[in-house]
Amino acid sequence: MTQQYRNTLFFLILFLLLITGAVLHLFAGQIEISFHDFYQAIFHFDPTNTNHIIAVEFRFTRLIMAILAGSALSIAGMLMQTLFNNPLAGPYVLGINSGSSLLVALTLMTGVSFFQHDLSIILSALLGALIFGFLILSFSFFVKNNISLLLIGLMLGSFTGAIVTLLQTFSNAQNLKVFTMWTLGTIQQTEMQQIPLILIFYFIGILSCIFLIKPLNSLVLGENASLLLGINLKSLRISTIAITAVLTGLITAFCGPIAFVGLAVPNITRIVFKTQNHGLLLFANLFFGALFLIFCDIIIQYLEPVVSIPINAFTSLIGAPLVILILLKKLK
Amino acid sequence: MINLKNVEIGYKSSLLNLEQIHIKRGEIFAVIGENGAGKSTLLKTLTGQIHPIQGQIIIEEKNFQLLNRKEKAKLVSFVGSKFDGIPYLKVLDYLTLGRTPHTDLYGRLTPQDKKTVDHIIELLHIESFIERYTLELSDGERQLVAIGRALVQNTPVICLDEPTAFLDYGNRKKLIRLLSEVAKKEQKCILFSSHDIDLCIDEKIPVLLINTNTKKLEQYNSISKEEIIQKGFPSISY
Repeated sequence: MTQQYRNTLFFLILFLLLITGAVLHLFAGQIEISFHDFYQAIFHFDPTNTNHIIAVEFRFTRLIMAILAGSALSIAGMLMQTLFNNPLAGPYVLGINSGSSLLVALTLMTGVSFFQHDLSIILSALLGALIFGFLILSFSFFVKNNISLLLIGLMLGSFTGAIVTLLQTFSNAQNLKVFTMWTLGTIQQTEMQQIPLILIFYFIGILSCIFLIKPLNSLVLGENASLLLGINLKSLRISTIAITAVLTGLITAFCGPIAFVGLAVPNITRIVFKTQNHGLLLFANLFFGALFLIFCDIIIQYLEPVVSIPINAFTSLIGAPLVILILLKKLK
Repeated sequence: MINLKNVEIGYKSSLLNLEQIHIKRGEIFAVIGENGAGKSTLLKTLTGQIHPIQGQIIIEEKNFQLLNRKEKAKLVSFVGSKFDGIPYLKVLDYLTLGRTPHTDLYGRLTPQDKKTVDHIIELLHIESFIERYTLELSDGERQLVAIGRALVQNTPVICLDEPTAFLDYGNRKKLIRLLSEVAKKEQKCILFSSHDIDLCIDEKIPVLLINTNTKKLEQYNSISKEEIIQKGFPSISY
């Protein structure tokens, strides 16, 4: 009962922090937008009013993307960490991000565009994540051991990394710049009209996780033990990797590769909530992930007049020491 | 109830022949034999982790090999020789995971499920540490909890692979007594592999002995230590 009480309290605090963070996030940024402007922008949108356009096109979109990206990546990280029984696992390690990077690099730097379209980067990233997700999936049919699968993911990452480096050496300056910008990650390039599409994929991914709660809970006991509890390990693996590919691919497509969120946040939530109940962890990661990225982005926006830090660099700057700190505290 | 007739088990070639084995509800057997004789293979076959080379395994009148994983998990549960504990996993949550084969798609617990868990907690007298984390327990407590998890699974058959291997003398004796008591009280078929021959004889535990010479599993309701050594460990008998 005490733990239940404690967890309810934590969720309440998380929720309040999230609301506070969201409000702070909306008012961050160099151009001053008043509360009245936001209110008017929602209920009486005036397309000629610059402040209204900034409120909707920049502030709301950026906030929504921070929430979606943070929560989706954290949940994807949680899925990978339980599936591979390894706190170091994440969508990155599996090579799902590398798939996106590879296809984006090919599209931008070889001139052989897969899609002659404005959205070519986005489509390439999404396709890359899905291809590599399914590649990992097909490997999982032959490889029984999850650690081996994790290593294959790492190798795929190194391999595609090498190809991307090769492409970069042969690329012209302009294309190289566009690719580098994409790898830095950004949550401010998304447009309001793209949000509904993102939301559809996001909810498909998150809601499917509900069916994974039970098998993941028993997988904590180990692969063999969960088999003996009647869990279908093969279908669990397929669905977990598929959902991870959708969530990661979606976010990487629109925001570029954002590092460390998927690694740091699930570790923090497990330590804070002290539980292996994935129903609880799912919600905890949803809240915590959103909160983490909102606060990162607030700081980035306040630092903008001085120095412009890409989100990918910033999440690593905060995430890496945080993980070390947690590990040190845990070991005591 | 377990019924085996002319079952050959092993990985690629036949390791052990189960000519005629019949175990009723409420019975407990210690599986005794040399290292590599096939104790683990037997337990793995009975829990559905490997298929028998020949013959049928009949558990509760059902052809075990034809069942799917979930149905198997409702008939047979398994306890390893050591449960190391899992970070952030509480004893109560660990025990509750035993209900996995019985719960719905979302893993929701019915009042009946909760009642089963409570009953096992009471049976094993572990009320005092269900709120603790599995990593914080002693080896003895952890093994008790692992058996509790198998009992929560509520299967007619329970297989344990050397459950006493990592316990001290007192805890070994207690564990074997507990298993024997549970088999009768809860009407389970319990099979556990063991090297504690003296303890099993002291506690009058019936024996499934792997005869080294004939490569056959022999069923004894009572057997002397000399006979066990002569048939199961011929290299030291004189």
